[in-house]
Amino acid sequence: MAGVALPSTQARRATAEAMPLRHVDWVLVALPMAISALGLLMVYSSTRTRLAGQGLSELYYVQRQGVAVAIGVIAMAVAMIIDYRKLRDMSPLIYIAVMPMLAGVLLLGATRKGTQAWFQVGPLQFQPSELAKVALVVALAGYCHMHRGDLDAPRLAIAVGLAALPIALVLQQPDLGTAIVLMVCVGAVLVVAGVRGRHFAVLALIAVTAMGVAVKADVFQEYQLDRLTSFLDQSTVDTQTATRAEYNLAQSKTAIGAGGLTGAGLFAGTQTKLSYVPEQHTDFIFTVVGEELGFAGGAMLLALFALMVWRIWRIALLASDFFGTLLCIGLLAMFAFQIFENVGMTMGIMPITGIPLPFMSYGGSATIASFLAVGLVANVHMRRFS
Amino acid sequence: MTDTRRVRVSIVGVVAVALFSTLVGRLWFLQVGSGAVYVKAAKENSVRVVQTETPRGRILDRNGNVLVENRVAWAVTVSRELGEPRLSAVLGSLSELLAIDAKELRKRFEDPRSSPLKPAVLAVDAEVPEAARVVVQERGEDYPGVRIVPLEVRSYPDATLAAHALGYVGEINADELSARKGEDYVLGDTIGRSGVEAAYENDLRGAPERLTVEVDPAGDVVGDPLKSDAGEPGRDVVLTIDEGVQRVAEESLASAILQARTVRNEDYQAGFANFAAPAGSVVVLDVNTGGIVAMASFPTYDPAEFTGGISTERYAQLTEDDSLFQPLLNRAAQGTYAPGSTFKIVTALTAMQYGYRGPDDWYTDTGSVTVEGTTFHNAGGRSYGSIDLRRAMTVSSDAYFFELGRQLWRTWKLEDQERGLAMQTVARDLGFGAPSGFELGEAAGRVPDPEWKRDFARVLWDDPQKVRENEIWYPGDQINMAVGQGDVLVTPLQLANAYATLANGGTLRTPELGMQVRDVNGGIVRTIEPVTTRQVPIDAGQRQAILDGMVGAVADPSGTAYGAFAGFPLDQVPVAGKTGTAQIGSATDAKGDTSLFAAVFPAQAPKYVAVAVIEQAGWGSRVAAPVVRRVIEAMYDLPLTPVVVPHSSASD
Repeated sequence: MAGVALPSTQARRATAEAMPLRHVDWVLVALPMAISALGLLMVYSSTRTRLAGQGLSELYYVQRQGVAVAIGVIAMAVAMIIDYRKLRDMSPLIYIAVMPMLAGVLLLGATRKGTQAWFQVGPLQFQPSELAKVALVVALAGYCHMHRGDLDAPRLAIAVGLAALPIALVLQQPDLGTAIVLMVCVGAVLVVAGVRGRHFAVLALIAVTAMGVAVKADVFQEYQLDRLTSFLDQSTVDTQTATRAEYNLAQSKTAIGAGGLTGAGLFAGTQTKLSYVPEQHTDFIFTVVGEELGFAGGAMLLALFALMVWRIWRIALLASDFFGTLLCIGLLAMFAFQIFENVGMTMGIMPITGIPLPFMSYGGSATIASFLAVGLVANVHMRRFS
Repeated sequence: MTDTRRVRVSIVGVVAVALFSTLVGRLWFLQVGSGAVYVKAAKENSVRVVQTETPRGRILDRNGNVLVENRVAWAVTVSRELGEPRLSAVLGSLSELLAIDAKELRKRFEDPRSSPLKPAVLAVDAEVPEAARVVVQERGEDYPGVRIVPLEVRSYPDATLAAHALGYVGEINADELSARKGEDYVLGDTIGRSGVEAAYENDLRGAPERLTVEVDPAGDVVGDPLKSDAGEPGRDVVLTIDEGVQRVAEESLASAILQARTVRNEDYQAGFANFAAPAGSVVVLDVNTGGIVAMASFPTYDPAEFTGGISTERYAQLTEDDSLFQPLLNRAAQGTYAPGSTFKIVTALTAMQYGYRGPDDWYTDTGSVTVEGTTFHNAGGRSYGSIDLRRAMTVSSDAYFFELGRQLWRTWKLEDQERGLAMQTVARDLGFGAPSGFELGEAAGRVPDPEWKRDFARVLWDDPQKVRENEIWYPGDQINMAVGQGDVLVTPLQLANAYATLANGGTLRTPELGMQVRDVNGGIVRTIEPVTTRQVPIDAGQRQAILDGMVGAVADPSGTAYGAFAGFPLDQVPVAGKTGTAQIGSATDAKGDTSLFAAVFPAQAPKYVAVAVIEQAGWGSRVAAPVVRRVIEAMYDLPLTPVVVPHSSASD
């Protein structure tokens, strides 16, 4: 043993454990790519006849979404490389960077479907609220990490205040769905951060009261309330007199229901091919899965999502610091709620809000932000020993 | 990690599990638990039986060149269910997108001619660039009720070539639909409105497809049919037209007309103004089949203007604006003209057949004929001395035929009414005065006789005194008719057909544009055979005498068309021709003479007849003859001589 000092077995193990690349959660990383592949197929299925019918390329949407997925995968890789604890230290900056974007879109943004949520740069659109979801989780996790074990009422008030600003801005667009997602993420982070039971009860009470006042005070447009409540009474929908929301829901359920156990087969769904379901390649993408791949396909997709959520939950427990845990929990809540809300709305058990299904719905900003989120979670996993 | 944190993280996990379980449960209920309820709903959503037109047949020339085919044009349609104020907003956005005035779009939306049951077509073809289609597709929510749909429209590779023969198509209207009840038309179908498009509608249309199909929420057909009756694609119609000859005929006609408008009419009654030369036509007939090799009418129109529907204003302009001279009118078949000296073949045949004057009998032309105090002069104030029939045809003596007219009238008045009206009989035998049966329809023309004049006077006048004055068949009536003046009216097609009958030895045929009908694979469905209307007894020697006189008109230095055919290789293609210069109008309404020329060629064994008729353009030898010359050159691949309408005097 003289002369050359060989590293001891233990030291070598310590070095190896500190090498983040050896601890990539490949299952987690592979899942969004697999789901995105299915998503591209579904986007293609739901848009090809419509595009061809207008003399445009059948691949128009698929190509654009394919580019978004590619950018998303790169974003995921980048999010894995940079140590997430640097992010923790920079979380106030991230928060400060995102707020002007949310404010700016209200002034300069393009309006689509009555919502002013997009920056239009030439042919490209960018939706800052998608990025804001991830940024708010990072910022809130950073703040709660800083005050871990000592989240008293004033600090909680500051945390809620930090969250309330972006939520208010998103509501101004108005994008009720994204605002609700933000609230759910905030709630989940606060629960795990150790908010006391009675504090939490007060917060919930305030939120419910605020909602009630907003409805009474006509803050929302009638169609927004229509969408929110149309799932409550689905007994009779006459397509001639139905509101747009009722019509959407009826067509959505018809498409999924027609799929049966094994589905009509890829590209063989009549309701899909014939564009009976409005917004099918974006918010109602799950109806394509339902009609063409049936219960088998739909349950399998939900299983893939559940697997992804479970991996995130597992990493929340494995994280080497509390920030990592909170980050994972916030993003877990984001994914789980979006999936539940989106799929639930297509099946009539949740109100209709404009929330995309992660990795499935056509839409660049949401896809890239979702990949970014998975990248951050994978980052936490990679550095659980270092 | 502390235990409380572990517990709190676990709570989140439990909630997630609950959410996913709910989703799977609901999915099972909808897809498996609900049985066939939704399957049935989906089917009712989307299955319909619809009828679609098959591609319309093409129209080809005799050599298979495509004259009319189909292509896809994109159209922007707007739903009729929009209602205000959304409609205004959509029209506004479309106006910006398509760069069409919003008022214009509103007018198109409200066009009473379009079907109220179908989305309104607001822009077609060049008005809908790809960039606009992309925008409507991508930003559909900004254009509610707007759709981009493909339309199959007629395409004209040769632009306006043979427009009058080909005709145009339109969207079937309610009147046409009820007239065709029981046939397989539905509102919005394409139907031929004129020309071959209308005449061969049943062949070109084929049989529509009847499909059990799936439709999208807008009611439009999507995807492969569930059950199909394929129908039958429209059949191609091959015409007797020769594209090359047609083109030269049109170019030459247009050139002659435009030049004639720069020539001053030396008739003092016309005030020495330039010739108006508003219009004209050319017909080339195959004398052995009746097939129309070329049929040109000037001014012409662009059938592509009817693509996607022509505006009411534009249509009114085409049909009512006098300054455009009725471009939709096919003057070759529907224009009626005094034939002038081209009618002399009728008078000549009458004289020989009915024994008034033999081909070799000599007549002394003193320049005029006086009957009951009225003197009829030769055109141009000339006299030709002692002439026979051939010479009379060559120099186009009027006196020779005036005298025959006088004799005919005397015979009618004093001896034998039937023999006195022999010229009318011969004219009718040769196809004048009645429709020939031409597929595209035509004017009947007029062969005047005492009976016609009596009836006409009674229609024209209420005053019994006036009727008595005007119902009389005067010598002048018969004398004028003998030189193609007075009340005789012919269509250029009838004139060509009469010459063709003389040329082929007496077979009057129905002029035809259709030659063959083919299926989409080029297989012959049917051949359109020549139709013989009647055999006209024409003595071979008499026929030859007339043709000889006509050969002289072209080849003899004293012939009326000698100048027009200067330098033409008559040794290669011998041409027999007859000029005509018909006076129209009256002392109070002076108009330029109608310029006519009829040619039979090759003269020794005739195959074709070519006729040119140009309105208010002056001498037949100056305007019509050069046009026909150039057409003949085109048919025999001779170098084409530019049409030059001379400004100096020449006689007829």
